[in-house]
Amino acid sequence: MKVPILKQGNFLIASIQGALTDTDLTSLQENLVCSVRDNRSKGVIIDVTVLDVMDSFAARTLRSISIMTRLMGANLVIVGIQPDVAFTMVQLGLKLDGTMTSLDLEDGIAMLKAADQNQERGDYGR
Amino acid sequence: MSQSRMQLPEKFLTVAEMMNIGDQELARRKEFLEFRPEDEERLHKLAPLSESYAEAVIEAFYTHLLKFEEMKVFFPDNATLERVKAKQKQYFIRLTKGNYNLDYVEERLKIGTIHEQIDLPVKSYLGMYCFYLREAWKHIFEAGKKEPDEVMDTFFSLMKLVFLDISLTIDTYIDSRERTIKSLQQEAIRELSTPVLPFREGMLLLPIIGQIDSQRARQLTEHLLESIRINRAKVIVIDITGVATVDSRVANHLVQTVEAARLMGAEVVISGISPEIALTMVTLGIDLGPVHTVGDLQDGIEHAEQLLGYRVKKFAETGKTDKGDRV
Amino acid sequence: MDAERIIIISDASVMTARQKGRELGVSVGIAGSSLTLMATAISEIARNIVQYAGQGEIEFRSVVRGGKRGLMIIARDSGPGIADISQAMQDGFSTSRGMGLGLPGARRLMDDFEIVSEPGKGTTVSMTKWEF
Repeated sequence: MKVPILKQGNFLIASIQGALTDTDLTSLQENLVCSVRDNRSKGVIIDVTVLDVMDSFAARTLRSISIMTRLMGANLVIVGIQPDVAFTMVQLGLKLDGTMTSLDLEDGIAMLKAADQNQERGDYGR
Repeated sequence: MSQSRMQLPEKFLTVAEMMNIGDQELARRKEFLEFRPEDEERLHKLAPLSESYAEAVIEAFYTHLLKFEEMKVFFPDNATLERVKAKQKQYFIRLTKGNYNLDYVEERLKIGTIHEQIDLPVKSYLGMYCFYLREAWKHIFEAGKKEPDEVMDTFFSLMKLVFLDISLTIDTYIDSRERTIKSLQQEAIRELSTPVLPFREGMLLLPIIGQIDSQRARQLTEHLLESIRINRAKVIVIDITGVATVDSRVANHLVQTVEAARLMGAEVVISGISPEIALTMVTLGIDLGPVHTVGDLQDGIEHAEQLLGYRVKKFAETGKTDKGDRV
Repeated sequence: MDAERIIIISDASVMTARQKGRELGVSVGIAGSSLTLMATAISEIARNIVQYAGQGEIEFRSVVRGGKRGLMIIARDSGPGIADISQAMQDGFSTSRGMGLGLPGARRLMDDFEIVSEPGKGTTVSMTKWEF
């Protein structure tokens, strides 16, 4: 598995280690979805700090992952989009509608915990 | 975009071409140094001798070099030293191999570029050449002292070629400096015209004044995003009080800036939307999307503080005023 | 030096083209953020080639204009070609949710952009990123 997926309590953390081909991205999608199911995870973090290019295929894949994990009861946070990458995505018109994003892992986990709590309270506001 | 034929460059440009050093320029330099076919011949004759003293010169060279602390840093280990010595030997031998054409120039320019990139100071570079010439002279003199005129001519030929090399190297240094200066200037202009101010911990203030065209919008966005990363900002207040006109293009730039900031986990508050701008935006059907918008900068800052979880309380000195307690 | 050329035939070669572009961009003197823009544009165009033409090639050339250096990327394929270029170049992203041909996106990321295409004859895109 090119992208390691680690379990942390109710959450899964997928850390991207380097550039990914389209095939790698599709594998990541499959692996994550299976892991969410197998672990009954409530949240997923995809750490893209090291990812140097986010093109339309990558953005589409992340959006798919977001939708699928949500359908399975897990929230997704994309962590560590770099300034250049954010700029490029916006120039290309790539949106991650509704997917949470954070600067670093710490914030990302805090977001997942907060979202989890909100959901437990029955508040599906976000 | 009509289907006209594209003008494509012939091939990958050489360093020499990028620096505008062509046949004519090379010929001029040689002429200026009075480097002529006779010099080439002399160097050709020098070749066997030059190859025989190459090792000795190099050893003396590096022994001298390594006496200096500031030069030691370029040779962290023995492997590096050996590798450099081998390259150096190639360099010296090349001096007597003839064919001092544009390919030769290209080789020399590349070497100069490498040295410039590793930050080898010009003074060290020149000192090294001087050392080499003195050592070479000793050997040339020793071998040919019976014919002093010829020895002198041979040495002068070598000197002319070495000075040609020096001129090429210094040119690479200058060229690189010029490009660095240009790009730094552009960056400075960018930063000055798009100030991003860290306000509270986790907050950035971005007052935009004047016109926003696409180039400025881009600079602004890039600067903002980099600041978000450096300051780990969670809330940005973009104040557009000073923006001249807000049409659909400007609004588009704003939306993009906001979206990019959000991708980095920051929330954006846009302040300074005057009634006129609000009307324009409604009329043009501009939708800034899910951003917090407030009337003035003060509201913007207060709102941002709230988002960050701050409460600001003023300690009134003489009774309460209208803005006495902000909680 | 001859132009650097990469054959585009699979998603692995899309990655190779991107990395090559970065490498050459650095050697020409292109700075960090511009490299990302350029690598992304290469990715989009290369993927287009794989998707719509099956295969093609990407060539890199260095260029100079007014004292500044740049990297020109020439992407060629002998695929179906584009009938209406101006339509293909329209900013369809707001409606197509980023699923467009990648051409208008690449144009926005690069400094200079030119495209020549004819149905049945294939497409050539030439785009340049300057060092500053």
